[in-house]
Amino acid sequence: MSCNETAYIVAASIDESLPLAQRRQLDAHIASCAECRDAVADTRDGMAHLRQWREVAVPRWQRIPESLNDEGLREKLRRARPRFSFWTQWLPLATACMLAVAVVLNVQVQIGGDGMQLSFGGNSQAADISEQLARFEQAQRSAQEQALEQLVTQLEARQDSANLRLMETMLEQFGSSTARNMEQVLAYFEAQRQQDMQLLQSSYQRLADSDFQTIRSVQQLANYVQYQGGQLQ
Amino acid sequence: MSLSEQDEALIRAALEGSARAWERLVRRYEGRVYNFALRLSGNETEALDLMQEVFLGVFRNLHRFRGDSLFSTWLFRIAHNKAVDMNRRRSLLMPLSALGGAGQTEEEVLEHFHDEAHEQNPQALLDTEQRNAGIAQQLSRLSWEQRLVVELKVFQSCTFDEIAEMQDVSANTAKTRFYTAMKLLKTQMEQTHVV
Ligand SMILES: [Zn+2]
Repeated sequence: MSCNETAYIVAASIDESLPLAQRRQLDAHIASCAECRDAVADTRDGMAHLRQWREVAVPRWQRIPESLNDEGLREKLRRARPRFSFWTQWLPLATACMLAVAVVLNVQVQIGGDGMQLSFGGNSQAADISEQLARFEQAQRSAQEQALEQLVTQLEARQDSANLRLMETMLEQFGSSTARNMEQVLAYFEAQRQQDMQLLQSSYQRLADSDFQTIRSVQQLANYVQYQGGQLQ
Repeated sequence: MSLSEQDEALIRAALEGSARAWERLVRRYEGRVYNFALRLSGNETEALDLMQEVFLGVFRNLHRFRGDSLFSTWLFRIAHNKAVDMNRRRSLLMPLSALGGAGQTEEEVLEHFHDEAHEQNPQALLDTEQRNAGIAQQLSRLSWEQRLVVELKVFQSCTFDEIAEMQDVSANTAKTRFYTAMKLLKTQMEQTHVV
């Protein structure tokens, strides 16, 4: 006597989401068919035996695929780079605010050997705002040159420390990989650094240009204030 | 956040270029995939190779994951295909007698289960090794298709419909394959006095 349903009965018997109606049919079949009853019991035993498998720990391996070394890695690093535009886009606004404050408060700007000095009130009434602004503009120009150098140095340092951190991570990831990979990574860092510096300088130049435009409109504001002052006096 | 929501968040981040998210995603599943590979191949070196291929496949196809099934189901579809590929390569390299039904001797299988990381407790290690080696040995006597059905059903809790789709057969064929495999295992368990 042989049952044709055994394979399907066994399959249904281990299906935990079997609908209730089918579960009842199944139970009824098992109750009346010795072959299926045995097969279901054997399958459960077999599954329990197999599930005695003890999980084996995964050996050390390289989780980041090799293919990430090239384009994927570049993309990854590109995203990890600091956003220079963030640093530069606020500077013209800050300069404009500073100038506006200087004009409204009638601040005296004195340029000495040590740089720029500001003083409030005093002999401000005698001061010629236009002349002050001209000097301010000149001071700005040299201050900007200094600031540019400082910024480049700072960002260079910032880049290096970020790169160092990145490098440590990469060394960890590529611990088992070849020296050639590391060479590629280093070459890539250097190329990125150069690119960043170029980007920084060109965006700073744009910033400088826009600053002088701001100064011209502040000059107009200053004339207006002067005019208004004249009216008030 | 549910597990599958966490998976999906990690997948999104990985697709946006986050290596960290990719690594977290891998760490969530590498144990399952490695043990899957170890049971199928009975060999640590091959298991590691297979696991790496699986995750490379997952990595390359990640943008195709649509979330209409669980990520684990999708992942094991790839794992299944990579296992089939591996077996195909093996068949080309090994003599026919070394495949499928013949299997490895217990010593051969046991040899592959030595794990240096657990040397502190040699007895527990030996028990685990012997148990796992015994299971791998029994599985090695099944045909590759049978082994995969058993693996996917018993350890990965796939449905027969999912297995049928992976193996490109009908659900009934998958059920028959499973039943035949379990009958063979039963015979082996009786021979090795497990039952
Ligand atoms: Zn029956």
